[in-house]
Amino acid sequence: MTDLILQALFSGVLIGGVYALVALGLALSFGAMRIINLAHGELVLLAAYCAYLVETRTGLDPYAAIPLALLVVAGVSAVLFLMIDRIRQDRELNSLILTYAVGIILTNAILLAFASDVRSTASPTLQDAVTLGSVYAMTGEIIAFGLSLVLMVALWWWLKRSWYGRAVRAVSSNRAAATLMGISPGRTELVAFLVAGALASFAGVALYTMSVIQPALGHALTVKAFVITVLAGVGSIPGVFLGALLLGVTEALTVTLASSALQDLAGMVLFLVVLFLLPNGLFGARARRG
Amino acid sequence: MAPAHRDPRIPAPASGKPWRNAALVGACLVLAALPVLLGASNYLLGLLISALILSGIALAWALLGNLGGMVSFGHAAFFGVGAYASALISARLGVPVLLAIPLAGLCAALSALAMLPTLRLSGPYFALAILAYAQIFRILATEATGLTGGGAGLQRFPGLPTILGLDLGSRTGSYGLLVAMVALSALAYEAIRRSHVGTALRAIAHSEDATRVVGVNSVLLKAWMLLLSAFMTGVFGALNAHIIGFLEPAYAFSGLWSVMPIIAAIFGGYRTVLGPIGGAIVIYLFDQLVAKDLIAVGHQILLGLVLVVMVLIAPNGLLGLLKRRAGGRPHADA
Repeated sequence: MTDLILQALFSGVLIGGVYALVALGLALSFGAMRIINLAHGELVLLAAYCAYLVETRTGLDPYAAIPLALLVVAGVSAVLFLMIDRIRQDRELNSLILTYAVGIILTNAILLAFASDVRSTASPTLQDAVTLGSVYAMTGEIIAFGLSLVLMVALWWWLKRSWYGRAVRAVSSNRAAATLMGISPGRTELVAFLVAGALASFAGVALYTMSVIQPALGHALTVKAFVITVLAGVGSIPGVFLGALLLGVTEALTVTLASSALQDLAGMVLFLVVLFLLPNGLFGARARRG
Repeated sequence: MAPAHRDPRIPAPASGKPWRNAALVGACLVLAALPVLLGASNYLLGLLISALILSGIALAWALLGNLGGMVSFGHAAFFGVGAYASALISARLGVPVLLAIPLAGLCAALSALAMLPTLRLSGPYFALAILAYAQIFRILATEATGLTGGGAGLQRFPGLPTILGLDLGSRTGSYGLLVAMVALSALAYEAIRRSHVGTALRAIAHSEDATRVVGVNSVLLKAWMLLLSAFMTGVFGALNAHIIGFLEPAYAFSGLWSVMPIIAAIFGGYRTVLGPIGGAIVIYLFDQLVAKDLIAVGHQILLGLVLVVMVLIAPNGLLGLLKRRAGGRPHADA
């Protein structure tokens, strides 16, 4: 039993790494534009299907699909951004509905292009088992987790040190003041949106190498990403990482101790409990929601 | 809480001229009677029945969105609760179906009580918290096999009865019943909109803080709107269950019951009463007759496109667009 629980904790942490990437993209576009991109999970899934396409058509490693995924997702993100930018009236409500609609379009486009079958990588290298003491993992899971860590550090560095990263933080904390300092909020928002798209691309390809994908997954990913941002509170990368690990571990433990049917229930209940009891998220934050 | 003087900055409810409203109601009734008078096929009546079910939910969604200022992505929760409650109350307790349906509405409103804490949340947080509830409800309904029959489904429950010689279970009877129910819901919506409560809700939409300062309990009013919206959705879920005669969690709590009303209400104009009703009929018939024909699997892609176009070009919906074209106010207020 202890072994099973240890295994669940380990697997939960590994999938949590990819969840963190998905959630960081959502949090970044939310931070910069104050809108929740309800199509974010579908962008991740789009990248995952790029990996599937490259693997099945060329026989290359799924990670070879990253340039294609970046291109496709950045293109869709840019179009999405231009549409959101056009909204003048009731921006919060209408952007929510607009991104939701784009999510519906992407889900059905994926369904049309790839059918509703469940897909996963065929690469034997990625599916090789690695044993660490009494727990084991697939090579793909370890690589994906490593990639997540590297990207999180890169994002942290970008936000902290680069000009555009600082601009994103400036626009996020005070739009008017940032404009006075010579930052173009429109362009900064676009950059933040594209970086969020890049994170989604990596997350999608990583997801494909370690898990199974199907068209309906996009919506579920959006919800998971949102749950994690709520768990984390506003504006903290370590918070998002820990929130993602918590969600991954909670799901894995529920599957091991109860049943896989209850996996999503556990995440949702965790979400509501945090929402009601800790309005600022688990890991403290400056701004209060609402 | 009823304000004695109306603040001139708060737009008055669109009252219109009485004869115009009467003419509108008359036109709607004639339009509603037309399919029956022209002897429409059972297939067409079946489509219209489903469209009217959707009209009811879209109206309930718009009530919450317009009067309560809350966007819900989880009306499937109320629809499913209403459907199962009515089926179980009528089958297990032997309550007459026509009594079970309003009771099911009450059950849906009761289930909304569990969501009251979400009223503290604003905008996207509320929308997604409701979505979380809808998922929780679906999973619970699937797991509670003793009560709901789980994934195997539930089909041993009575259909609509015959009242005064009119078989409500027949296509024509069900159609008539649904026209009446949608009309009743629209009247209730309109009555609230014109009441002091409606005035207070419009004020909340402008500035919640300012409205609270003058002594309006905004959270209470929003809570009532949530419960009422849940009740209406539950009633239509119950009607649908008795007409279809079969329930399973994947159907009764399907995300479609959350998505379709949003598309319908936005398409028609969610800040009007007739918009969601007409929008639902147009959208449903378009989806079933046109979109499904063009693309068998994934036909909702067209609905997504419609929604994108509406938000970008006419965020006030078709009715809002028409009003603007007609030289009315720049945008239709609550």
